[in-house]
Amino acid sequence: MRDSYNRFISLSLFLSPSLPAKSCICHMCGAHLNRLHSCLYCVFFACFAKKHIHEHAKSKRHNLAIDLLYGGIYCFMCQDYIYDKEMEQIAKEEQRKAWKMFVCPCKCVPGIGEKYSTWEPTKRELELLRHNPKRRRITSNCTIGLRGLINLGNTCFMNCIVQALTHTPLLRDFFLSDRHKCEMQSNSCLVCEMSQLFQEFYSGHRSPHIPFRLLHLVWTHARHLAGYEQQDAHEFLIAALDVLHRHCKDDNGKKANNPNHCNCIIDQIFTGGLQSDVTCQACHGVSTTIDPFWDISLDLPGSSTPFWPLSPGGDGSALNGESHTTGATALTDCLRRFTRPEHLGSSAKIKCSGCHSYQESTKQLTMKKLPIVACFHLKRFEHSAKLRRKITTYVSFPLELDMTPFMASSKESRMNGQYQQTVDPFNNDNKYSLFAVVNHQGTLESGHYTTFIRQHKDQWFKCDDAIITKASIKDVLDSEGYLLFYHKQFLEYE
Amino acid sequence: MKMEDMPLSGPDNTRLEALAHDIYSELVEDACLGLCFEVHRAVKQGYFFLDETDQESMKEFEIVDQPGVDIFGQVYNQWKNKECECPNCKRLIAASRFAPHLEKCLGMGRNSSRIANRRLASSNNMSKSESDQEDNDDLNDNDWSYGAEKKSDQNSPRRSKSLKHKNGESIWYNYNTGISYETLGPDEVRSLLTTQCGVISEHTKKMCTRSQRCPQHTDEQRRAVRLFLLGPSAPTLPDADAVETDSFDIPDAQPLMSRLQWEDSDISPTDSASSKASTNHSDSRKPKKKKKPSLPLNSGGSSSQSNISISTKKKRPKLSAPPISSIYDDLA
Repeated sequence: MRDSYNRFISLSLFLSPSLPAKSCICHMCGAHLNRLHSCLYCVFFACFAKKHIHEHAKSKRHNLAIDLLYGGIYCFMCQDYIYDKEMEQIAKEEQRKAWKMFVCPCKCVPGIGEKYSTWEPTKRELELLRHNPKRRRITSNCTIGLRGLINLGNTCFMNCIVQALTHTPLLRDFFLSDRHKCEMQSNSCLVCEMSQLFQEFYSGHRSPHIPFRLLHLVWTHARHLAGYEQQDAHEFLIAALDVLHRHCKDDNGKKANNPNHCNCIIDQIFTGGLQSDVTCQACHGVSTTIDPFWDISLDLPGSSTPFWPLSPGGDGSALNGESHTTGATALTDCLRRFTRPEHLGSSAKIKCSGCHSYQESTKQLTMKKLPIVACFHLKRFEHSAKLRRKITTYVSFPLELDMTPFMASSKESRMNGQYQQTVDPFNNDNKYSLFAVVNHQGTLESGHYTTFIRQHKDQWFKCDDAIITKASIKDVLDSEGYLLFYHKQFLEYE
Repeated sequence: MKMEDMPLSGPDNTRLEALAHDIYSELVEDACLGLCFEVHRAVKQGYFFLDETDQESMKEFEIVDQPGVDIFGQVYNQWKNKECECPNCKRLIAASRFAPHLEKCLGMGRNSSRIANRRLASSNNMSKSESDQEDNDDLNDNDWSYGAEKKSDQNSPRRSKSLKHKNGESIWYNYNTGISYETLGPDEVRSLLTTQCGVISEHTKKMCTRSQRCPQHTDEQRRAVRLFLLGPSAPTLPDADAVETDSFDIPDAQPLMSRLQWEDSDISPTDSASSKASTNHSDSRKPKKKKKPSLPLNSGGSSSQSNISISTKKKRPKLSAPPISSIYDDLA
C-alpha cells in the first residue's frame, strides 16, 4: 500500500520524469482525466466519472481504490471516501519525504521543506469541544487580547513596554503556542512570567492585571534598574529583553550565553546587526565591524548636537523634494542622519592597518541585518553636562517603512551622501509596519507614559495603565513618539 | 476526447483555444475537487462545525467605543482597592503602592540604607514593631518619583530633627508631615491610634502624630476620630495607667525635655508647608489621578482585616505606664 501511494500520488503530483505520465490512463476507456483512481489490490487504473473503477471493484471484489489526484481512499462498500488513521500517517510521511526530495532543476530553491498542516483536534479534544459549546473566537471586534495594567506606583514605564511586547505578533504566537520549555529550577524565570502574562491577556478578564510579580522579577534580575531614577521606558525595555534573553534557552537546550550563537526567541525577533565601516582617508581601506543591537537610538533636531546637514559637504536636501528648513522632521530624516558618513576629524585619528599610521577617517553606520521587530528610540531626554531637558520636537513617522535605503547593501549609492530612492516593488525584505508607539507626556522630572498598539489590521488602541480605549490612526500618527515599534511585513523561511 | 487525437501543429487558433480552455477547466475542476475533499473530510472527522461560536459569547467580548468608558464598557478609575502579596515579605500591599514598597523591601531604594542604618543604630532599644512606623514614615517620603533628586532639600529639616532623637525615639519622627490616613491599612490605623493623638487636621487632612494627651486637641476630638476611622468597635481612649505604646525606654528626663521643647513649638505651618509641597508634586506627576480613595473602614474594612495574616504583624509588648502623662501634667 505504501508503495502504491508513494509511486503514484507523491510523484504524480510532481510529474517526475521517472514515471511516464502516459501510463496513468483509464484501463477501460483510455481517459487520463475524469478522476482517475487506482485499485489498491491490483494494478488497475480506471476513471471515476464514467464509473469504470466501480465496475472493476464489483467484478473483482476489490473494494478499495485510491484517487490519484488527492490521495483519498474510496471504499465501495461504504460508497464514500474513508479516512483511516494509519493510511493517513503513511501518506503524511511519504509526502514529507517527497517534498524534501524535490529539487528544482535550476536550483532556484534548496527544497520545498515542510508542508504546512493545520491543527486538527484529536478524538479526546473533539469530545471536549462538543461538550463545551461556548466559544471565544478572536474576531476583529473582540476585546480578547487587550487588557489594562494597574500602575504599581509610577510604573507606567513598565506598563507601556508590557503592552508593546504583548502585542508583538511573533512573540504572542510563540507564547500562546506554549513554546517555552522552562529549565530553571526556581520559579524566578522571567520567560515563564511572560508566558503567564499572555495567558492573562487572552483570558477574557476585563479587570486590569496587576503585574507585581513581573516587576519583582525584573528588579531581582536587573538590579541596576530598581530604586534609581532610571524609570525610563527605553531602559526598561533593554533590561527586560536582556533578562528574557538570559532566561531563554536556544533550540539545542543549551544556555544562551554566547550572543553570536543564540537562537532564542528574543534574538530571533529583536536582534539585528549594525555595521560600522571606518574608511581611512589616505588609502581608502575599510575596516568593518558588526555589532548586535536591539534598538536604534536616534538623535533629534533641537538637541545640543546639530542635526542638519545630514551629510558632510552636501546638505541632503536633494531628496524627493524635501527641504530641511520647512516642514516637520521625519523618521526617515533621523535614519538618514544615523547612517550618514561622518568625518571623524583630526583629533580622532584611527590607526589604519593598511597605511600602518594614524590617519583621518570617515565612519558610517548601516544596517547589516534587520531584526524582525525594529525598535526606534527617539532621544528626547537630554542629559548633557550643561542641561537636562526634554526635546519635544515633533517627528513624523510613517505607518509603513521601507528600510532598504539604510541597509549596508545600499551603501554604495549613498557614499557621497546622495540619497536615491529606488524602491523595488518586488523586494519585500525590508518593508516594515508600525504596530506600537510609546509616548511620554510631561517633563523630565514628572511625566507619564502611554502606548498605542495595533491589534487587528487597522485597529489601534490607546493603553493608559488600566484604561484601554479605541484610538484612530490619526491619533497615533499625530502623537509625539518616543519609542516606535515596527514589525517586518513578510517573514521568510530561513 | 483523447489528447492524441488533437493535432497541435498548425496555426489553427480555434483548436488551440479549445485546448487551452480544456486545460483551464480541468484545473478549475481539480481545485474544486480539492476543496470538496477538505470539507468532506472535516465533516467526516467531526471538526467542521467546531469553530462556530454562540452569539452570547461574541456579544460579551465586543469592543465598546464610547466616551467615558474603556473598551470593556467599564468606567475609568474604579480600580483603587486592588491588593497584591509581596513576593519578598509576603505582606498584602495596596497595588498602587507596591513599587515603593518593593523598592524598600528589596533594599534597593536610595533611602533603604538610611533606614537600615537607623534600624541598626536603634535596634537595642526598639522591638521590631518599629518597622511599621518607619514604613509609614517612608510612605510619606515621596522619594519614589521620576527624577526627584531635588527633594533632598526638603528632607533636611526632618533629618536634622531626627538626629536629635537617635535612641529609640523614632516614633516621633513623623512629626513634620503628619500621617495621611488614606494610605494606611486598617491594622496600621489601629496601631497608630493606640499611640498617637490621631485627630485629623482640617487643612492638611492628616492625623496628628503627637501623643494621646497632646494639648492641641481635645479628648472629644480624639474619640470622634477613632469612631470615624475604626467604627463603633474602636477601643476607647486608654487611661493613664493602661497605655499601650510601642516600646520605648525613657531612661532619663533629658531627651524628654528636649523633645518637649520641640513639641511646644508651632508645628502646623511646617506640617502644611511640607504636605502642600508633596501634594503638589504628586499632583503634577499624575494629572489624571486623584489620590482620594474611599475609606473602606466599615464592615468592608473589618472583613478585610481577617484576610491580613496576623502572624506577619509584629506583636507589641505591653509596657507599664510611661511617665509621659505625668510630664504633661507638670507642664500644664
